[in-house]
Amino acid sequence: MAIRRNTGCNQIDHDLSRRGFLGGGMMAGAMAGFGSLLSPAMARDMKGQQKQILQVYLQGGVSQFESWDPKPNTTFGGPFRAIPTSVPGTHICELLPHTAKKMHLLSLVRSINLGINDHHQAMLFMEKGRPMGTYPYVGAVASKYLSEPSNPLPGFVHITTRGITGPTAGFLEAQHAQMRLEGVKPPQNLGLPEGVSPELALRSENLRLQLNQQFSSGRSRSLIDSYDASFDQARQLIERTHLFSDQDEKELDRYGRHWFGRRCLLARTLLEEGVTCVKVTHHGYDTHAENFNFHIEQLDEFDNSFATLLGDIEQRGMLENVLVIVYSEFGRTPAINHKYGRDHWGTSLSVAMGGCGIQPGGVVGSTNADGTAVADREVDGGHLFHTYLQAVGIDSQKNHEIPGRSIPIGDPVAAPIKELLS
Amino acid sequence: MCCARLYYLPVVSLLAVLVAGAVETRAEPPSLRTVIDHQVLAVQGSQSVAPASASDDYMFARRVSLDLTGRPISVAALKEFVADSDSAKRERLIDRLLASPEYARHMQYTFDVLLMQRLPKKHIDPAAFAEFLRKSFAENKPFNQLALEILSADGAEETNRSASRFMLDRELKREETVRVIGRVFLGRDMQCAQCHNHPQIDDYYQRHYYGLAAFLKRSYLFTDPKSKQVMIGDKIKGDVTFTSVFTGEEGKTPPRMLELTELVDPQPVEEPYEVVPDKTNRGVPKYNRRLQLGPAMVSDSNRAFRLNITNRIWAQMMGQGFVEPLDMFHQENTPSHPQLLETLADALRDHNYDLKYLLKEIAMSAAYQRASYWEGEELPPATSYLVGSIKPLSPEQFAWTLLQSLGEVQKQRALAIAGFRKADEAFDPQSNAAQVRIESAVTAALKPTIDKVVAVFASQNTASKFDASANHALFLINGPEIAERLLPGQGYLIDQLLACETSTEVGDQTYLNVYSRLPTESERALAVTFIEASPGQKQIAVQELLRTLLCSAEYRFVR
Repeated sequence: MAIRRNTGCNQIDHDLSRRGFLGGGMMAGAMAGFGSLLSPAMARDMKGQQKQILQVYLQGGVSQFESWDPKPNTTFGGPFRAIPTSVPGTHICELLPHTAKKMHLLSLVRSINLGINDHHQAMLFMEKGRPMGTYPYVGAVASKYLSEPSNPLPGFVHITTRGITGPTAGFLEAQHAQMRLEGVKPPQNLGLPEGVSPELALRSENLRLQLNQQFSSGRSRSLIDSYDASFDQARQLIERTHLFSDQDEKELDRYGRHWFGRRCLLARTLLEEGVTCVKVTHHGYDTHAENFNFHIEQLDEFDNSFATLLGDIEQRGMLENVLVIVYSEFGRTPAINHKYGRDHWGTSLSVAMGGCGIQPGGVVGSTNADGTAVADREVDGGHLFHTYLQAVGIDSQKNHEIPGRSIPIGDPVAAPIKELLS
Repeated sequence: MCCARLYYLPVVSLLAVLVAGAVETRAEPPSLRTVIDHQVLAVQGSQSVAPASASDDYMFARRVSLDLTGRPISVAALKEFVADSDSAKRERLIDRLLASPEYARHMQYTFDVLLMQRLPKKHIDPAAFAEFLRKSFAENKPFNQLALEILSADGAEETNRSASRFMLDRELKREETVRVIGRVFLGRDMQCAQCHNHPQIDDYYQRHYYGLAAFLKRSYLFTDPKSKQVMIGDKIKGDVTFTSVFTGEEGKTPPRMLELTELVDPQPVEEPYEVVPDKTNRGVPKYNRRLQLGPAMVSDSNRAFRLNITNRIWAQMMGQGFVEPLDMFHQENTPSHPQLLETLADALRDHNYDLKYLLKEIAMSAAYQRASYWEGEELPPATSYLVGSIKPLSPEQFAWTLLQSLGEVQKQRALAIAGFRKADEAFDPQSNAAQVRIESAVTAALKPTIDKVVAVFASQNTASKFDASANHALFLINGPEIAERLLPGQGYLIDQLLACETSTEVGDQTYLNVYSRLPTESERALAVTFIEASPGQKQIAVQELLRTLLCSAEYRFVR
């Protein structure tokens, strides 16, 4: 007899460990303060508004020591200090001074063990919540279940310049696959063909609709409708070409004029335009050599741009509907190699998240004193995946119901990190 | 000879046919096409609905050409076909298409995508694997033979190197190899069964998954020290065990094909190796477990193998498998026409797995030849096969169709023929050998463009039958691959259209080249209005008319 799902799958102790929350439970006051964000009245207001996700992907594997889980003055701690943050009791690396001031908007998970040290495999685990197999990315799942049917824009947009383009929608429909933007350049083929006036384009569009109307008579509408929808989405993008080209100079001063600053500003625009999941990639964290110098440069770019973006999202009242995630495919080795580098490390890493559905100001789990292993509340990509989706109101323990099969949305052997959910 | 029993198990059906077709003699078994039509309608039962009328010649010619050769019929051949008054002309067209080099190419594309899922190159040149497939289909290699070769190739011999891409480019990784074998040869996606018995499907067991894995457990990747080529070596030891992540139960299994008898290794012998594996030598055991996989797969006792390929070929032609999704055969997902599926599968086996035979019989059935629009009230479900389906073109079909409608295929064909003539004055483009050479030359010339179109339209979504995203639409509206071929003076279709004397003629030519049919009166008027609404801008208007038809739904589907 086959075993039904959810029987005996709770292998990890899900007991809520509030001790790790809010810096050792000392900050009950702070908790009350942030608690107002989570009032039932707010929750009611959130209804009907589309939930969104902002993923900030630090490609190559940011060092947990040099970011969210500093271990100053220990064997592997490296040269940097830990600094206090806006959450009393929570310290992060001194390379993130701007982000430190916004930590009351975020929570940290410091106890992730993926058991994978390969860039691609680990990235897939973080995106799909499964260590292997064909499944959709977080962004594609969000696009499928959160996008309002009336939303004209693609559900999942990835702003990047490098990296492998693999299938991101898994078994979901192509419209939920990421639309990849090359940096802040507009998507390919955006614009009208040469010599075609807007009037002629409109006549062509009307003719196309007329032809399709005729063709659909006596035939199944569903395929033809989804084909029509793709042209509608294309037209909407063509009308919004300006989003990709005109970036406000003053805003760029705030975000930073480097590539990552520009991408963060575009991410804000796309979120405001209603894209369900915006993923921004910051390349260059694979620091096998000169780990410390590279992290100074990388995180200097990241820190200001990200903190500005997070601040803007909050200030514009969007944070309650936008889940913000900062993640890498893995962390970096405690051991420092002879080139002053740190290598791949999937054994103990951290992720920061906040906004929609997430208790702010918390820290879940911990690593041991030297940062060589997870000490408490071990989780993996499966738990994170469940948590992200639960945070935006998708029941990750249900199934994707697609013709002929039901596939669990999140890995049935993992579960959401409940203490993070608000 | 008593073949009839193979095709007519239920006595009731047999009687029904005998009564209905009283002229039929008892000695001759009914042809498979007759059986198809009988059984398709028989499933309807008492509330029978009359099927849609037969497709007209235009619709049939376009459909059968796309289904069998992956590209639409040429306008010249279409006109000839429509004008032909021979009552056997549909059968003649089917025979011609099945004999063409385009058939082998289309099957190459179809099976390459199925078997390799567009995986990038690892150890074997993808073009070599594609060519292996093309040749196999060109010589109409029996499908069981093809499967056997693919599942047995070790890449150590030049003769099986290209076929070994299936295993070698997955590097024998269990989670990829076992899953794809289950999907494409057995019609069962057992992904979930690698960690536990399937949670929702009662007959996908871990022992099925690991039974397949056991065939390959003793195989490993060996790098030849001289050639540096990677190939498959085999050892004599290694068994699979598995643990359910839900229950913690442990299990083990010898090689097995689903629920069929387990394979037992022969008694160990004193010198078990032909070649003992070491650093410089690829292990070759006297008894090689991996080589039992192919024979066990294609064995007559393995019904799943023939049901799967039959269902896939049926779906390729009809747009709807008896079992859908195609890789979800299980006891709760029963076929829409179980008897017909069995009958076709047995017929395929009895005809030595001749895919052309099966394709032709399906193409000759009334069920296949029905019109694809329904004139009644409520559209019957796709599983009834009462009305022709609309099938999305595969990325490769769509690429070829676009390039043919724009005139690029014809242009390259003329260039290829001119090239061959230059080298050899006696070159006869009509001969079979010449057709093969021309097709190869045209394909080689167009490959970069085909690849670009495929890159835009290819999707990994195996669950959905049709996918459309904004990228696809933007490509059609403003992609350079199309825009460049809409410019006059380069020998494309646009030149012919601009040379037409009247707007009516432009409309007719555009419809023939894009839709493989003539416009109706109202469509003709629509085209004329469109062109003439931009006085003094005829060129742009004609370009836009052509482009708009390329963007239409009728063009995106086989109808």
